[in-house]
Amino acid sequence: MSTAENQTQPDSERKAPAPRTNRYFGKLAGASAMHLLLAVIALTLVLPFVWMVLTSFKPLEEVEADSWIPTQWLWENYAILFGSKSDDIQYKGLTYGRWYWNSLFVAMCVTFLQVLTSALAAFSFARLKWAGRDKVFLLYLCTMMLPALVMMIPNYQIMISLGLVDTYAGLIIPAAFTAFGTFLLRQFMLTIPSSLDEAAEIDGASKWRLFWDVILPLTRPGLITLTIFTFISTYQSFFWPLVMLKSTHRYTLPVGLLFFDSSSGQETNVLMAAITLSVIPMIVVFVLLQKHLVKGIQLGAVKG
Amino acid sequence: MTGLAFLAPNILGFLGFTLVPLVFALMLAFTDWDLTLHNMFQSRPLDFVGLDNFERMINEPRFWNSLGRTLFMMMGIPFGIAGSLLAAILLTQNLRGGSGRNTGYIIAGAILLAGSGMLTLAGLGSTAMTLLVIGVAGTILVSGSIGGSTVYRTLFYTPYFTAGVATYLLWKKMYAVDTGPINVALTDPIDGLTTAVRALPAGLVQAGAWLCAGAMVLLLFWGVSRLRRWWREEDLGVYGLIFGGVLLGLPVVWASSWGVVAESGETIASLAAAGYVVQAAAIGLGVWLVTGLAGVERTRLTPSDEGLGSALILCAVLMIGLFAMLGLSRVLYALPAMAASTGGLKPPEWISDADWAKPSLIMMGLWAAIGSNNMLLYLAGLSNVPGELYEAADIDGAGRFGKFWNITWPQLAPVTFFIVVMSVIGGLQGGFEMVKTMTNGGPRESTTLLSFYIYTEAFELGRLGYASAVTWTLFGLVLSVTLFNWKFGNRYVNG
Repeated sequence: MSTAENQTQPDSERKAPAPRTNRYFGKLAGASAMHLLLAVIALTLVLPFVWMVLTSFKPLEEVEADSWIPTQWLWENYAILFGSKSDDIQYKGLTYGRWYWNSLFVAMCVTFLQVLTSALAAFSFARLKWAGRDKVFLLYLCTMMLPALVMMIPNYQIMISLGLVDTYAGLIIPAAFTAFGTFLLRQFMLTIPSSLDEAAEIDGASKWRLFWDVILPLTRPGLITLTIFTFISTYQSFFWPLVMLKSTHRYTLPVGLLFFDSSSGQETNVLMAAITLSVIPMIVVFVLLQKHLVKGIQLGAVKG
Repeated sequence: MTGLAFLAPNILGFLGFTLVPLVFALMLAFTDWDLTLHNMFQSRPLDFVGLDNFERMINEPRFWNSLGRTLFMMMGIPFGIAGSLLAAILLTQNLRGGSGRNTGYIIAGAILLAGSGMLTLAGLGSTAMTLLVIGVAGTILVSGSIGGSTVYRTLFYTPYFTAGVATYLLWKKMYAVDTGPINVALTDPIDGLTTAVRALPAGLVQAGAWLCAGAMVLLLFWGVSRLRRWWREEDLGVYGLIFGGVLLGLPVVWASSWGVVAESGETIASLAAAGYVVQAAAIGLGVWLVTGLAGVERTRLTPSDEGLGSALILCAVLMIGLFAMLGLSRVLYALPAMAASTGGLKPPEWISDADWAKPSLIMMGLWAAIGSNNMLLYLAGLSNVPGELYEAADIDGAGRFGKFWNITWPQLAPVTFFIVVMSVIGGLQGGFEMVKTMTNGGPRESTTLLSFYIYTEAFELGRLGYASAVTWTLFGLVLSVTLFNWKFGNRYVNG
């Protein structure tokens, strides 16, 4: 630290008179302290991930070692996930690539359907007038308060009677219509000035044109927020797939990850490889869209 | 008509998968539907049994225990909120120093210098681990110096964003008793502690236990006197007094059952004896608490919900302090005997130990909670605090803490209230995924939270009717929190 200060001192003395130099260093010290504090917190939060990635490259004997760094870096743990040892009895039923695909597929379907149906419904609630609209919306709002657990038992029975247990449709359809998405997009649509609707009407645009060409483009931040929420929560969802899925090859990642924890897989290094890969899509979504997410959460939660 | 056409796709799904199940669920709660009795091989007709399910629930200790554990887990909420607030405040500080960009490089350079200096000092003795930690910290600092608060915000938010089965399994492995990195790192410090405790006279360590107990009593006295003073000064309404008193009473109630637990669960005889002392003291304190709060002057015009928020926050923080003191004194009391045993002290067994399992889960929850949505809400809240308030405070010569207590904290009160309500609602119904993946409800059912209890009853034991009754009870709890929010929240948010 002292070296750095010595280097800059003459420089800033030339620029400013002595009292200002003191203030400069006061601010510099304050900023440095803040950086240090923030970095220490960030380090604590990040260390589990560092351990996760490093362990995923270790051979099994080294998992318990004092040092986190593998003495030899192995890609084998990742290869096992994709079937390099599928003849081994202990890896029987391990179809990680398939689970990965299942998760992404289900999450994408749910996201697409939910954003679409929510946008249509939100448009109806926010921009159109019809008898009983506000009462129906109140009903929607009320159901948002219900714990998800309340619906699980009857929905499971409905899935049994529809014959959708252990199918992708059984995962996708119940999640495709939510009151929350409708509520969130309605909030965004209400911020659009209503003069646009009148202008469109004068131009002779149909309600569909108004929705598709005017309102929807202006709701883009809301659509992105809902997309992130839905994608991540479906990708992470565990309870519903756990009760719905019976055949191993239809598992989504969260259910599949439990495979490593069952009697057949006590191999921490392979598990860490599986976890590392499963976290990647979320990191990608997060880094690409984080700006929208931050705004969306603030808007959605403050208003809700 | 067009309105309904736009709504049609959504409302069909809404009716099919929300409203119909809702009515169905309500009916279920009053039936005796049990998959072992009513299945495709054995089609006995469903009977409506009235309130039998609820009656059974009230008489079922497993229900009450799981509810109690769910409430226990909520003790992590204030820590999480405090962490989020701290993170948000740190992120809004001036990170650039005096003159823009070059500060970043100076800091980065200083850190690299310090890092390499430390390495030189450590010389050949430095392990790869130290290098690794310094390297990660240095990388964070350098990128933070260049990218500013966005970098830190992203890093803080990552644990929350990725929280799910994957990170729960990660923590399960981190908590592993013999092989997990936490206990591997703790081995040396714990061995050092064993030597230290063995060297000290046992009475000295146990005196620490009694000191903690004394501190607990003092905390309780202080809290009650503070409540009474607020009441006298007409800053506190009757709701605040009651809720605050209940919060302060919880540790006392816990302490009064402490002796019994120690007697049956532990083998150390002196602990059981101490338990009776604690029990007697706790009962005495409880009586004093009730009479002390009931004995306040009644004639007054203060609105009933005056000062509710401050009372709740004060008492919640005190309550956690009291619980911490109790736990600490218990550990200290047992410490000499444990250190004297052949193996010496051992690191905690975390999620494999019935006593440690819930605190372990709370700690992991904190890891995810600090950078959560709450932090983002606080960030938004902080940016809405009018700058003139701080300028005025500067003129009055207020310090950092003065500014925090008199400006930031009151200005953020609506945000805090919202976060508390949301966290309590989330805490009541959450935790299933964590428990299912990490502990499966164990050890000895110590982590069977309400949501996990419902899962086992419905999907493992097949008692659908009974499980529905429990979910509706859970809904009742959530609803009462929401109503509480409506009754008192608006006043707070607008005031």
